[in-house]
Amino acid sequence: MPKNVVEMEIDEVTMELPDTKTLRLKWPEGYETDFKTGQFITVYWPDTPKYKRAYSLSSCALDTGFFEVTIKRDGKMGTRIVDWAEKGNKLFVIPPVGRFLPVLEPEKHLVCIAGGSGVTPFRGFAREATLRKLETKITILYSVRTTEDIIFNDEFRELEQKNPHFKFNVTCTRLSDSDPWPGRRGRIGADWVKEQISNINDTIFYACGPNALVDNAERLVLEELQCPKEQLKLEKWG
Amino acid sequence: MSSQIPDTLKYAKTHEWVKVDGDTATVGITDHAQAELTELVFVELPAVGRALQAGEACAVVESVKTASDIYSPVSGEVIEVNESLADEPGAVNNDPYNEGWFFKVRMSDSSTPDGLLCAEDYKALIGE
Repeated sequence: MPKNVVEMEIDEVTMELPDTKTLRLKWPEGYETDFKTGQFITVYWPDTPKYKRAYSLSSCALDTGFFEVTIKRDGKMGTRIVDWAEKGNKLFVIPPVGRFLPVLEPEKHLVCIAGGSGVTPFRGFAREATLRKLETKITILYSVRTTEDIIFNDEFRELEQKNPHFKFNVTCTRLSDSDPWPGRRGRIGADWVKEQISNINDTIFYACGPNALVDNAERLVLEELQCPKEQLKLEKWG
Repeated sequence: MSSQIPDTLKYAKTHEWVKVDGDTATVGITDHAQAELTELVFVELPAVGRALQAGEACAVVESVKTASDIYSPVSGEVIEVNESLADEPGAVNNDPYNEGWFFKVRMSDSSTPDGLLCAEDYKALIGE
């Protein structure tokens, strides 16, 4: 086992949706790590050490003493965690790495394009900016199939109330015509993204989710908005 | 970096490759697909003897980042699977067109299946 792998106990589980669960992994006593909001951890069960999965942190760097990851029932790991993981179980954790980091400077506007469970790192972005009372603008543009698929809806709405610089905008792609949802419908397109931007030079785009969504966001930002690639950060498979 | 797309193979739009030899088709996933999936940690293959329809989901791959269905590009009966992938799923990443093959099908129609792409068309599909 590599030296930096740490066994952590599941301290709390929260069902966010019927197929999506948040695990709070408690740091062992004396554990310290230098990590940043937006990074991901890699986990595995003690009985299957060769079988690992990586998940973005849904907690932020100010949340110390634990890591939180929010996991959809997807594949064997996602199924085992969502259906069977419970408080007291232990997982091995490879500490956070990754460069999908929020630029939390006062004049910046972070436009965060998310699909499905790709919204999870943006919870960390919004939490850190809100806890630190930052003036950085953060706008999440979240694509889901139906209103039943919105992860962290209540929490993001609460963060909007606490943080005047944070906006959580949802579009649904597969609602029936008879659904009473008053919000936006259809995929994330250039027009909707452009509506959010006041000064494109101070805007940093983030995209996280399925490959098709991330590829589309990349094309949209680089080709349709003619934005330099330095202002774009991508994370496939949330 | 551009991915390997051998001229000798046929390709499905869902990123499987097919090598036809007589009435037998060998199936795997493309170099582009393995790169998009990232490091594979698990491969579930169809049972030998299973009858497949072209386009049917028949295998599952799981990487450190995601899980994804694999579709059979041809119709027929599964006659062999690459059992070594159970212990070494990383062979798909390291050698997707040889050691990383998934399964072999005795095709119900031995002519080259319709709807598959040549290397050049697959290259265009993935934007390379």
